[in-house]
Amino acid sequence: MSALTRLIGFRYLKRGRILALAIILTLSSTLFSITAFSLLGFYRGFTAYLGEGEDVIAIYNRKGSTPFTGLVPAYLAEKVGSINGVIACSPEAVAPCIVKGESIFLRGIIPEDFAKLNQLAIFDGSMLEPDDVNSVVVGRNAAERLNLKPGDEILVLGVLADRYLQLQVKGIYESHSVMDDEVLAPLYVGQWLRGTDYGHVTLIRVKIDRSVVSPAAILEEVAREASEPSQSQDSGRKPEGLIMSWPRASFRVEDIGVEEAQMFMKSYLDRYGVTRESLLTLSAIVFLFSSATVAAASKTIIAQHEGEINVLRSLGASRKLLKGDMLARLLPWSLIASSIGAALAVAVLKVIQGYGLLQVVSHTVSIQLDPLTIALNFVLVFLLVSISVLRADME
Amino acid sequence: MLLRKRGMVSSILAVALLVAILASTNSIVNYIDLQVQTLGGLVNLSRTYLVLGGNATSITDSQVDARLARKLSNLSCVGYMLPQKMLTVNLTSGSSNLMVQMRGVESDAFFKARKAYMNGTAAKNWMEANVGEILARRFSIGLGDEVSLSFGGRQAKVRVVGVFVSQTQSDAELVVPMETANVLDGNNNTVSFIEFSLKDGVSVQEAVNRIVQTLPENVKLVQAQQMGEFAQQMSIQTLVFLNVWSLAVYAAIAAASYVVAARLIIESSYELAMLKALGAKKLTPFTLVFTYTTTVAFIGSILGTALGTVGAQTASTILRWIQPDVDMVPFLKAEQALQTLLLTLASSILGCMHPALKSTRTGHMGQPL
Repeated sequence: MSALTRLIGFRYLKRGRILALAIILTLSSTLFSITAFSLLGFYRGFTAYLGEGEDVIAIYNRKGSTPFTGLVPAYLAEKVGSINGVIACSPEAVAPCIVKGESIFLRGIIPEDFAKLNQLAIFDGSMLEPDDVNSVVVGRNAAERLNLKPGDEILVLGVLADRYLQLQVKGIYESHSVMDDEVLAPLYVGQWLRGTDYGHVTLIRVKIDRSVVSPAAILEEVAREASEPSQSQDSGRKPEGLIMSWPRASFRVEDIGVEEAQMFMKSYLDRYGVTRESLLTLSAIVFLFSSATVAAASKTIIAQHEGEINVLRSLGASRKLLKGDMLARLLPWSLIASSIGAALAVAVLKVIQGYGLLQVVSHTVSIQLDPLTIALNFVLVFLLVSISVLRADME
Repeated sequence: MLLRKRGMVSSILAVALLVAILASTNSIVNYIDLQVQTLGGLVNLSRTYLVLGGNATSITDSQVDARLARKLSNLSCVGYMLPQKMLTVNLTSGSSNLMVQMRGVESDAFFKARKAYMNGTAAKNWMEANVGEILARRFSIGLGDEVSLSFGGRQAKVRVVGVFVSQTQSDAELVVPMETANVLDGNNNTVSFIEFSLKDGVSVQEAVNRIVQTLPENVKLVQAQQMGEFAQQMSIQTLVFLNVWSLAVYAAIAAASYVVAARLIIESSYELAMLKALGAKKLTPFTLVFTYTTTVAFIGSILGTALGTVGAQTASTILRWIQPDVDMVPFLKAEQALQTLLLTLASSILGCMHPALKSTRTGHMGQPL
């Protein structure tokens, strides 16, 4: 130990040469962090798309190949809404569309029901009213991307259905969620664009009091409705805040899923093997693929200091001591490099995001500093430098 | 001489692994892109088109010559043809006064095209109107009601002769014969837009080309359903991010090449010094280092492209064994492989430039022989 302390006082490694290794470590860390932050940001945004927390559940069509393409009977919202313990029930018709040549998602909602699940702050114009029919409110990001302001008339072109609509922008909202990339419209508008009748919606989001009711109890109610449909008054009842009635539609209970909203979205990604762990592993693989460069840089440093190492060896320093000393000198650099790499990645991603280039399925990917990613970055850099130095030939 | 250096294999591997990241990511993105395009193709695309004013961003600010409809209807490829005038009018019904969207059309053809269910009859003259069910329910407008319409100082009184449902935006509109819309607008010569469909069986591309030739320059043709455009934008979003991300990989390749060149200079210091001592030109070490690094980058790029593509395909096969639902077949396009090769070479040249130039400045006097 004392020998190592004495050796540390002897500065034989040249800073300029260490800098090359530090730059390579920084770039590798940046690469890893950009990959991990963006992939995990997408994963988090996608899974939180319908809401976070155990108290938000989704009633959806199991057969839908994407969360946006399934259809469920709209009147189930009314049935489920009357169950004790259900706080809010929001039927939603989600439809992709084209506005001003840009792809965007429009979500048909019943404003008062939607407001119980998502808090929206209107910062320009006004919010949708129950009697609005040809108006929309636009998320802040979408408004910036499409250059929209209240009062603007827009031509909306359908994607899933042969529809075109003329709508007026009523307000711009901010939700600090993926909703900021969407357009909200009265439920009918979503149904028109989705190409469905007034009796179906894409999904129903439900907020429940877990101490009173569970998702299983809601599924039971849905199953009961499938086997013994409740009698309707005329062709269907008109829920409050809705103009058109919801006709009773027959359905098979095995087609309907009732699940925690976040789990519902996760299950879609799971189908394709996309999990948080697999994305982190993928990012780590990207880092490991750049490890050969780090190893080469470490070897280069040792080769560049061959003369100094030989002098120290001839003065009696053991290989073990030299390797320990080199590690002690390089590790702080490595940690600084990985920190700079992570910070650089965040900066790069923020810039890309600022230019609207960080989008997946027309939704901005939010960047969040994940402690696990940062820790993994440090660990990988530490291991890589340690292995490279310890395996180095110091003859 | 320099190619025999023992570090060459590890140098090639360092570049190859970085290129493999790019190749595997590109191959997976290609597959996803293909899936998006295929899914887009599965949607039965409509044959409905709109002719709008050239500078129009919405229907209400669009103006098209009304005679254009007659011209288009003469084309054999055109199915139904609906010239329409869209106005936001003030509607007074009883004590209610509201702004509504009004559509002037040829009523019978319009409701037939919309496959609308009608309670009552389609409006036959300029004193009659049809109301969409959403609008009728919202403002309690019933069959037989008289409503007053005003637009730009002009007024008209119409009687509701039918309430309809079409599952389209017209359910929230007032639909009147074109004469009524012309009276309110005070202009018989223009319409807001022309909606038409292509006949079944005609080639879309040929028909569109023919129609475009017929149209004047001050109008534009828009397809109502934009599945292709949407799918394309999804791909572009992924590609844009991938391209930006690739910059970080190419930066790493440049840094790797710097290391490769620096290591070569150290390990070949004897040979380089000997060459200089024997009278080699000043540029010779530069050429040697440059050639070595670009050779490493070239071989590394080819190896990495193969490794990345095969690696992604192997991984997807293993994934298919574990999860039979996941059927992924990554592939790389030839032009992508070429682009990767060229960009790798460019990054490599950039990376090796500093050590290569430095090698020309080092004299042989201080070098060990």
